[in-house]
Amino acid sequence: MHCTMDDLLALRANEGSAWARRHLDECPACQTELEALYQRVARLKALPPLGPARDRWPAIRDAIVAERRRRVRRWSGVGLAAAAAVAGLIVLAPFRPRQVDAAELARAKQQSATLEEELQRYDPTGRVMSGRSAALVAELEDRIAVIDGELARVGGSEAQLRHDELVKLWQDRVTLMQQLVDAHVTRVSYVGL
Amino acid sequence: MTISLAVPDILVARARAGDLEALEALYRAFETPVYNLARRMLRHPEEAEDVLQETFLEVVKSIRSYRGEGPLWAWIRKIAASKALMRIRREQLRGVELLDEETAPGSPVHKSLPARIDLERALERLTETSRSVVWLHDVEGYTHEEIAELMGKTVSFSKSQLARAHARLRRMLETEGAAP
Repeated sequence: MHCTMDDLLALRANEGSAWARRHLDECPACQTELEALYQRVARLKALPPLGPARDRWPAIRDAIVAERRRRVRRWSGVGLAAAAAVAGLIVLAPFRPRQVDAAELARAKQQSATLEEELQRYDPTGRVMSGRSAALVAELEDRIAVIDGELARVGGSEAQLRHDELVKLWQDRVTLMQQLVDAHVTRVSYVGL
Repeated sequence: MTISLAVPDILVARARAGDLEALEALYRAFETPVYNLARRMLRHPEEAEDVLQETFLEVVKSIRSYRGEGPLWAWIRKIAASKALMRIRREQLRGVELLDEETAPGSPVHKSLPARIDLERALERLTETSRSVVWLHDVEGYTHEEIAELMGKTVSFSKSQLARAHARLRRMLETEGAAP
């Protein structure tokens, strides 16, 4: 009885059974099979790399640009919603128990929406930037994403957070958005990070 | 195929910020290895090109989640392998994965194959699942555990697929004077 392919593969992976190891020592046929397996794998690794017949980058680039346009439209909608929310808060403010916080929250949301619009007008995705600027932008976007995640988590039930905590989140977002705009428009030196 | 693609951190940072030039540079750097992986796993070149495109769209979408824990190529390769395997699964669900040459009804391997067959053609005659396991394990260096996870199968499945694939490759290549 000779080694099966399972045995040979296990031997190759240094996981062969005691029987297979003993048998291999004594069986020239199985030694040849194992050597053939090694050679087959070596030949697989040496196969020349295959390249695509067509350049797919133009299609990928078009898809990226289309997705960005969709996102801009989505953000525009968010801006309008934020403006509506601000208007609502101003109207309702007199009836709310914490007028100061409500006004601050509305102001922070409005500032955030304004900065989003400013950033879109600047069209950051269409510009080339230095590596340092890119790293800073990525970091700022990450930090904004964290805040957005937290805001999305509380969602419609903002009551889960204390009002002052919610205001703080939105104010932090405004600060980061301002830095992001600065990073795009006036470059790293003004951001102060 | 051994890949050692070192990509400058600065390029990755620019790509993460959405810089189109940097994204294109990444695409150019990984275009061939991604296509090659997909092509070795899938039977049709057009499908491999689709996987290439899907992979890079996923890279663009998710690159901000790449934290540099491992080589960028390993991260991209995993996306590409997943995309290719998803296609194979879809084909299997539709029941159209082609049979191995030797298991196709009425076409015993020694009758249908030319006297000599090179490794490249022998590989192409395996099922997409078998060749994927062979390629991922023997060439890309994935462990059976990693392959099992990618395929949503067991480690035993991966091991038995590899053994059967090698047995078939051996038989297909076993002709007079043919290399092993």
